[in-house]
Amino acid sequence: MTPRSLLAQPVALGLVLGALAAALLSEWFFMQARDELLADRQQRAVVMQAMALGDQVAAAEAGEASEAGVDRLAGVVQHWSQRFADIASIRIVRSADATLLASTDANDAGPFPRRLAREEKALYDLGQTLRANAETNAAEGVFRKKQLDVVRLDRTRLRVAAPYTVDGEVRGFAQVQQGVPAAPIRPDLGRAALVIGLPVVVFALAMMAWRRRGARAPPAVELGLAAVLLAGALYGQSTAGLRELADRHQAYAAELAQTYNAIRQAFDATASLTGAVAGGDNRWDVDEYLRPLGVIGGDGSLQRAALDATLDIRENHLRRSLWSAAVLGAGLLAFIGLGYGRRLRQTLVEHRIAYGYVTPAIAGMLVLVFFPFVYGVTLSFTDTTLFNENLSLRELWIGLKNYAVILGDFHVVRGTDGDWVVNYQNFYWTLFITVMWTVCNVAIGVSVGLVLALALNTKGLRFSNVYRVLLILPWAIPNYITALTWRGMFHKQYGVINQMIQIFGGEPVSWFDTAFTSFLTGIVTNGWLSFPFMMVITLGGLQSIPQSAYEAAYVEGATRWQQFRHITLPYLKPTLIPAIIISVVWTFNMFNIIYLVSGGEPAGSNEILITQAYKIAFEKYQYGYAAAYSVVIFMLLLVYGVFQNRVTRATEAIA
Amino acid sequence: MSAAENRTHVMLHLALGAFTLFAIYPILWVLTLAFSGGQSLVVVDLPADPGALDRLRSVLPWPKTLSLQNFVDVLTQEPFARWLFNSAIVAGLTTLLGVFLACTAAYAFSRFRFPGRRTGMMMFLVSQMFPGTLMMVPLFIIIVKWLHLGNTYAGLVIVYAVTAIPFCVWMLKGYFDTIPVEIEESAIMDGATPATIFFRIILPLAKPAVAVTALFSFMTGWNEFILASIFMDEETAYTAPVGLRFFVGGFSSQWGYFAAGSIIVSLPVVALFYYLQKYLISGLTAGGVKG
Repeated sequence: MTPRSLLAQPVALGLVLGALAAALLSEWFFMQARDELLADRQQRAVVMQAMALGDQVAAAEAGEASEAGVDRLAGVVQHWSQRFADIASIRIVRSADATLLASTDANDAGPFPRRLAREEKALYDLGQTLRANAETNAAEGVFRKKQLDVVRLDRTRLRVAAPYTVDGEVRGFAQVQQGVPAAPIRPDLGRAALVIGLPVVVFALAMMAWRRRGARAPPAVELGLAAVLLAGALYGQSTAGLRELADRHQAYAAELAQTYNAIRQAFDATASLTGAVAGGDNRWDVDEYLRPLGVIGGDGSLQRAALDATLDIRENHLRRSLWSAAVLGAGLLAFIGLGYGRRLRQTLVEHRIAYGYVTPAIAGMLVLVFFPFVYGVTLSFTDTTLFNENLSLRELWIGLKNYAVILGDFHVVRGTDGDWVVNYQNFYWTLFITVMWTVCNVAIGVSVGLVLALALNTKGLRFSNVYRVLLILPWAIPNYITALTWRGMFHKQYGVINQMIQIFGGEPVSWFDTAFTSFLTGIVTNGWLSFPFMMVITLGGLQSIPQSAYEAAYVEGATRWQQFRHITLPYLKPTLIPAIIISVVWTFNMFNIIYLVSGGEPAGSNEILITQAYKIAFEKYQYGYAAAYSVVIFMLLLVYGVFQNRVTRATEAIA
Repeated sequence: MSAAENRTHVMLHLALGAFTLFAIYPILWVLTLAFSGGQSLVVVDLPADPGALDRLRSVLPWPKTLSLQNFVDVLTQEPFARWLFNSAIVAGLTTLLGVFLACTAAYAFSRFRFPGRRTGMMMFLVSQMFPGTLMMVPLFIIIVKWLHLGNTYAGLVIVYAVTAIPFCVWMLKGYFDTIPVEIEESAIMDGATPATIFFRIILPLAKPAVAVTALFSFMTGWNEFILASIFMDEETAYTAPVGLRFFVGGFSSQWGYFAAGSIIVSLPVVALFYYLQKYLISGLTAGGVKG
């Protein structure tokens, strides 16, 4: 049996391609995992240095004779860079008063301490950012902003800045730039070749044995055999790869423990200078939120349980990826093995020009529109938030609970008789506001646009082109600029609108403090923004009305209103209805105006559905809940789309 | 012209003039702030006990002193020039990529009959209804976490170009449909290859529609700020819209910089808009009828 005749069999071809895809993809995942592991190891080595130095600085600053302590910092830094050959430079910055306390960087001119120069503003900014992030996290009680600054200069050089805290306040930071050992990481192509080759060879041998007996194996047996072989090979690959990962994990941890011990010795050797105390725990091996990892104990010993837990997280993550690779391989095998591959190929060849043209667009749409959509819908069945993102979706699965919470909560109004409050976070309240918002805006847009168009269309009116050009301006300007401008005009104290009210003796209104006035600001802004579209559309429609229709009406003695009612409106209908339909969707989803003008104030009473979904996702970080909210919006639009289709069909049938 | 007609015209001019003034007032106000040279929201400082005249002066869109300082500062002192440059690159590349993707796909949908054609077009339509908020978190994960394209032009460009595809494809397809097939058939007779037909015959004929596609893609890239603010968290990587919001959002209120920046950002779009509005409107309504 030649290779050529083997590949002519669908099952064999499927096995080859399936194994190829799954094995290479798995190797790529392994490579990624090793890369991440190495990056983590490199980062932690430098972070520990920076954290230990930070402790020294804090002790020096907090000491009684703090200025003298600061002077001794130079000694600490000196000692440190002599002891650790791979440290390229150390900088100690007290950003609270923009002082460079010490530095071994060749570019920094001494003597230290000195004030930061103007071109060193980046260092000052870094300190402020670290302080702000620490305060944000402390205030919110969550870990959201990174409290370490880690910059990868290139593959073997890292720069880490760790904040130091005096009296509970971030005063500055210690920055360490260090070379980190890195062996190039390559995919294990030998193993991949084995994973691909072995099942194919076994399969070919089995087929040959069968053929020698003078019969062909039944297709089901062929497919089953191929599937078993593929599964076995992939299982072997993943076991080997995971074991290798575990070994590396262990080895890196041991190396880091040695690094820790070395740092600890340096710390103890210089502690007398600053009066720093190391303490019993390892506070230096931390993640980017300064949370101790607990893998290396204070005495440099490895903590088995914590080590296994971190390995577990990595392994689970990797296993999920490996499963997807295996599913892909099995899918390819089944698809090609069952003969769909051949048919697909025939179709593709037959229409190759057409497919060639659509492929770029379709591929883009699949990756960046349809996949995110499916992913989003999946998220809507989970309670994913910013803080449990690393868990698998299966662990976070809560079924329809999000939808039940959104749609099942009818307590729009709370409280007893006479004394009640509206729950502005309730879905139905937001839906009500959204509908009101859409109806008002479209009504204003259409009526203002229609009136203006009729006025501009008056026969013999001079300068009508000038008016037209000026009136289109609000549409031409980017709407976020419009929104921010109107926000300024509605400012309570300095806004122009309140100044105008005061001209006429009125009291200034705090526009964003009550639900009704806040709603008005949105309507005014959006009305201002949307009438030009309707005006232009209507003008176009008016031009298509034959003059003879009016002349006939004139002869018959019709009044102005009758002409409008029975000639103008019916002729405008085919242009106006699509424009109204499209502007309903636009207004329904008009994120910028609500978000930028009133921001939904007060207390979220003016959110429309789309801004509410955004706030749930990006201000409350409830990704799963926000996704469910968005799916509900999608359903509403879908229903509207179907309804609209019927209406347009009906109008087309009449016309 | 009769006297009655004359009177109506005067009334119309009064009404239209008043409304036009209302319509361009916010724009005049932005111009005032931009040329005022200051950062404050008010044009003149009111005395402690302002009378009606003082207040009238304060709403008049004319700065106390004319100055170009805000324009100079915003382009030199602030990182705004950098943001503008980012926006220009992003919008330019979005236009190129968007036009390419839309033209090829629309041509196939218009000229070829192949399995999946109807499904594909329906999917494009339905995708227009996907709420942006549903896509943001997954897009963030794909672009920033998986592809590591956060703070890069490429991340924004591919997202903008692809999200503009459905609208552009529907519009272009409508236009391609109006080009007679006979032209292509005779070209085939003369021995033209499919590529020649597409690049040398169809695209030149469809110039107006391609122009609208380009404008739409450009506007998407130039005006979008939500995804840009999610993908770009380094100040040097901001695009102009994100930067403008940075001037007046949160606790900062640099209204002069905002106004000057807004004018700089708006000028190209407004110019393009006026140049191409005729096509834009026909494209929108055509898409509307079918959509």
